[in-house]
Amino acid sequence: MNFKTVDDVALIRLIAQASPEALSELYDRYGRLVYSLALHILGEAETAEEVTQDVFFRVWEKAETYRAEQAKVSTWLSSIGRNRSIDLLRARGVRPEGHSLGWEELTPTAMPRHEGLDPEDGAMQAMQGERVRAAIASLPAEQRVALALAFFRGYSHSQIAEELDEPLGTVKTRIRMAMQKLRSLLVEEL
Amino acid sequence: MVNNLHVSESIPAYALACLEADEAKRVAEHLATCELCRAELQSYQEVAGQMAYALPQLEPPQALKAALLERLPAVSGKPGAADRRATWWQRNVRPAVQLQAEQERRPAGKRDRLLRLAPAWALASLVLILFLGASNVLLWQQVGDLRASQPAPMKVVALTGSQVAPTASGLIVISKDGRHGTLVVDELPALDEARQYQLWLIQDGTRTSGAVFSLGPEGYGSVWVSSPQPLINYSSFGITIEPKGGSPGPTGDKVLGGDL
Repeated sequence: MNFKTVDDVALIRLIAQASPEALSELYDRYGRLVYSLALHILGEAETAEEVTQDVFFRVWEKAETYRAEQAKVSTWLSSIGRNRSIDLLRARGVRPEGHSLGWEELTPTAMPRHEGLDPEDGAMQAMQGERVRAAIASLPAEQRVALALAFFRGYSHSQIAEELDEPLGTVKTRIRMAMQKLRSLLVEEL
Repeated sequence: MVNNLHVSESIPAYALACLEADEAKRVAEHLATCELCRAELQSYQEVAGQMAYALPQLEPPQALKAALLERLPAVSGKPGAADRRATWWQRNVRPAVQLQAEQERRPAGKRDRLLRLAPAWALASLVLILFLGASNVLLWQQVGDLRASQPAPMKVVALTGSQVAPTASGLIVISKDGRHGTLVVDELPALDEARQYQLWLIQDGTRTSGAVFSLGPEGYGSVWVSSPQPLINYSSFGITIEPKGGSPGPTGDKVLGGDL
């Protein structure tokens, strides 16, 4: 049976039926996404590896709780990975020095060859990355900064206001407008 | 107390988990009772989920996947990698042989009882095999149903190598709305710094440049395809070798081509 031809939702069903092959295929598709997100948030490869393993292990244990009508599989995975990474970040209190937390370095890059990833899936993920980077780049700089502090550091509104030395209401507006703009560019188009 | 007012203004921040605790609690209480706001939340969670794609995609160490698969059986009731690697013989026949050996070692009374149980054991195994077979069929029917329920996939144009690059291959993946695309190529010849590859979008014999690109060190590359009109309007695509920066029209050897 060729698992590469099975779509994401069906893979989750198979994982819920205890198929390690399905989990292996899901990892091939989204291991980089989860690892890259954890690494960007935490700034440490070793901890990012732990998070990545935890995310997929959680999928193995909780696959039957996934609801396709509520979120895409990739959204579910990145959500688990981000939450776990931010929990660790908060528990640790500090981040490694010299690690960027913004969007500024997110320039388009050639997609490297990824072992195990179907070329078509790779192309689709590359295209998705281009769309998201373009959408984020279209935001005003102050919205991008506030969004980065919320997304990568897990800061609350008041923490962002303190970090930027801006009024709380201003920060709330920036976050809301940024998310509204991104939704109009990324979600309604799908 | 749950109020009846919608919490739309707070939902984007709730999806990012950046609300203060008391406000997050108020929003959560409202969401529990409001289908409209739950749908709103899902769309913003989708935004948050997609933001991870903006990051450069880095390869985790290869050992990580192996470690994950090894971890499965140790802390879960589900069968894991160790079971997966076992052969059919190891999983099904060896236990029976081990049982026979166990019978040989036991005193006669116990051995007789075990022998009396053998037909029941065989019958139970047969039933289990039939059950697993039926489950497998049902499972793959579910997979088929899920496949059928998926929205139409993105269009994919396969590119094949010319005589200049017979082993090269490529794909153009076109978004569902036909407006965007990504080109992926593999095993194209390495070029010197003065030359680059150029993608041509072809319609009624007219060739429009879609991308100018170079390869990574492994001969593999991907590039965003830009087009003045929807990509699905073009009938075919070609890639040629051109001077660095590209040409107004094809001047060099064609290395890849394909039709929509």
